[in-house]
Order: sequence, then C-alpha cells, then structure tokens
Amino acid sequence: METKLPKGRETSQDHNGAGVSTEKLSRRKFLSYGIGGIATAIFAALAYPLAGYAVSPALRKQEEHWIAIGSIKDFKPGNPKKVDFSFRKHDGWTLVNQKSNVWVVAKGEGEFNIFSPKCTHLGCAYHWDDNQKKFMCPCHGGVFDITGKVLAGPPPRPLEKVSYRVQDGKLTVKGV
Amino acid sequence: MVLRIYDWLDRRFDLRPAMEKILIHPVPSWVNWLYCFGGITFFLFVLQVITGIFLMLYYVPSPDHAYASVSFISHDIQFGYLVRGMHHWTASLIVVMVVVHMLRVFWHGAYKNPRELNWVAGVFLFLLMMGFGFTGYLLPWDQKAYWATSVGTNIAGSAPIIGSFILKVIRGGTDLGAVTLVRFFTIHVMVLPAITVVFLVAHFLMIRRQGISRPF
Repeated sequence: METKLPKGRETSQDHNGAGVSTEKLSRRKFLSYGIGGIATAIFAALAYPLAGYAVSPALRKQEEHWIAIGSIKDFKPGNPKKVDFSFRKHDGWTLVNQKSNVWVVAKGEGEFNIFSPKCTHLGCAYHWDDNQKKFMCPCHGGVFDITGKVLAGPPPRPLEKVSYRVQDGKLTVKGV
Repeated sequence: MVLRIYDWLDRRFDLRPAMEKILIHPVPSWVNWLYCFGGITFFLFVLQVITGIFLMLYYVPSPDHAYASVSFISHDIQFGYLVRGMHHWTASLIVVMVVVHMLRVFWHGAYKNPRELNWVAGVFLFLLMMGFGFTGYLLPWDQKAYWATSVGTNIAGSAPIIGSFILKVIRGGTDLGAVTLVRFFTIHVMVLPAITVVFLVAHFLMIRRQGISRPF
C-alpha cells in the first residue's frame, strides 16, 4: 500500500545519498518490503499445509472390496437378478457396515454384465420390469435394455458396469 | 496489481484518509522490542482461530468419536499432525506470551492512571485465555484430558455451600461425560471466542486512544 509521510520525516536521503542517486530505497520502503515479504512467507507456510489438510480426504485411494455373491449357476441368461450384500468399510475414523447391491445379468458361458444399482441420471435405484424386459427408473423415467443401453428418458450414459471375477464357479464382485 | 485494485476502490469509496488515519501511526522513539509481546500474543491468537477452524473439519465432540476423530486427524489426514501440533503448542505459547506481556506492563507501570481500564481488560483477556486452555484440554478425550478435567471441576466443586451446584453446572450433571464434552466444546469454539473478540477490540481501541505509556 502506498503511504504518505508527514513532511520532514523522509529518511536517509539527506545523510549520504544526496546527488549520488535519485532512486534510492528509503528506509520506510525497505521496511515495508521486508514486512510484506515476511508476511507473504508466513502466509505461504500456513496456506500450503492447511490446503493439503482440507483436501486430503479427497486424495485418498478408494478401498477395494471383493464380495462373493454366489455360484455362477444361480444366474440364468435373460433373467436379471438383484443381489443384496453388505461389507465392512472405513467411513472417516469409523468402520461401518455398508449395504449395497448389484444387478447380475448372465450372458452365458461364464460371462456376465454386472450393473451398479444406481441410475446414471441422478443415482436413483431402478428395477427390472419382467413384462417389458427393461430396466426402469421410477424417478425421472429412465429406461435401459438388458445390456444397459439407454432406451428412453434423461440418463446420459448406459448403466455402469461393476468389475467381477469368476473362480471355481463362484462369482465375486467389486463392492462400491 | 494490489495497488490497482486499491486505487479502484479508493476512487469509489475515498479510502485513503481512513486508511492513513489507521495505518500511519507514529510510535514514540523509545519504544523497543520489549513492547512486542502483546502483538505476538494477538498473532498467536489469530493462528489459534485459523488452526482451530481447520481442526473442526474433522473433530466430533462426542465420547464415541472424540478420541477416534482426533487420532484420525493426527494419523490419517495429511498435515493433520502439523495443524493439531500448531494448535497444541501455540496454546501453551499464548499463556507464556500473555504472562511476559503482563510482566512488562507491570514493570513499566503502564497499568497506572489513566490506563487502569486497559489493565482490567487485559486481565479479563488473561482469564479468557485460561478458559480456552481449560476447555480445550478436555476435547481429545484421552486419559489425561478426562482426569485433568475431573480434577479441575472438583476444585470448582470444593467451593463452600454452592460448590456442588457449580460442579454440576460445569459438568452438566453429576458425572463427567457426554454433556460435559459438548458444553466444553461449545464454550471453547463459540462462547470464549466471541467474548475474547469484544475484549480485544476494547484493549486495542484503548491503547490507540491513550498511546503507549512512557516507562516508569
């Protein structure tokens, strides 16, 4: 900030700088730069760790959970099935029981489409309509076919697929 | 850049006279480094406000969560140990700086007429700082916190006649528990800061109005 001095208090110039240089750093300027520099250093030294502290949870790696949801023989092609399960996960400093579910669509020969239970529009839970053979979302009329493709309504993307593994005839899915 | 923004605001609000009145503040030539302890205390208080707000991002004042959330800050949050450490050490440092500031004022006799009221405001600020220390000590909800508060509240309870009533008011019941923790938290983060700001403003206005006293 620019400051105005009362007359007669302009410093040092009179002592030794007269006539040598017209652009001399006055004592006041020097001190205000010094204070500004120290204040900036303190601010930076505080701001960096505080910013890291505040955003730290967002930078964490998500935990991975694999949940066994049954034998592959439990699922028949053309007949989507909702599977409920729960698993233990960390929530901040607590350990909670997370309830979740997936839609399992068998494609035959040990191949599957496993869908996350949330509509890709705004995250509502959808269901399988066995008469129309479509996934229907009640919130805003999103409709998906058995492969997860959007048929009608506002959803911007096909249903989200969940990773799975098949081992010794057992189906395991990644919990979310 | 900053200057240009300042100029832009100044053209609209004519800030310069006010800013000059506040910032261009002649200080007597005999003032030396001994006069900086009050300012240091204020700086540390501002630091406590900042680190305290950041600690509140994760801290939960409940017996179920207090200890775990503090440990979460220290061990799982990036720089959490640093933010908590700053709050912890600055708390002690404030008490030291308040005492040094008081000693200097006392030694120079700066509390005398006409500055008695500013001394009184300062004593209140000292008591408020002790209040911050006492209430903040319980919040980590570890053994030291619990037993220190147990002892501290029992001291208040030893007052004649009204002691047991005071004890119950401070603890929010006979036992030291969930209610005690929440009220200490509320006092620590809402009540004491609000009162402190009032006294700080009074303290600063008075010193500005009366000027720094000449020693002895």
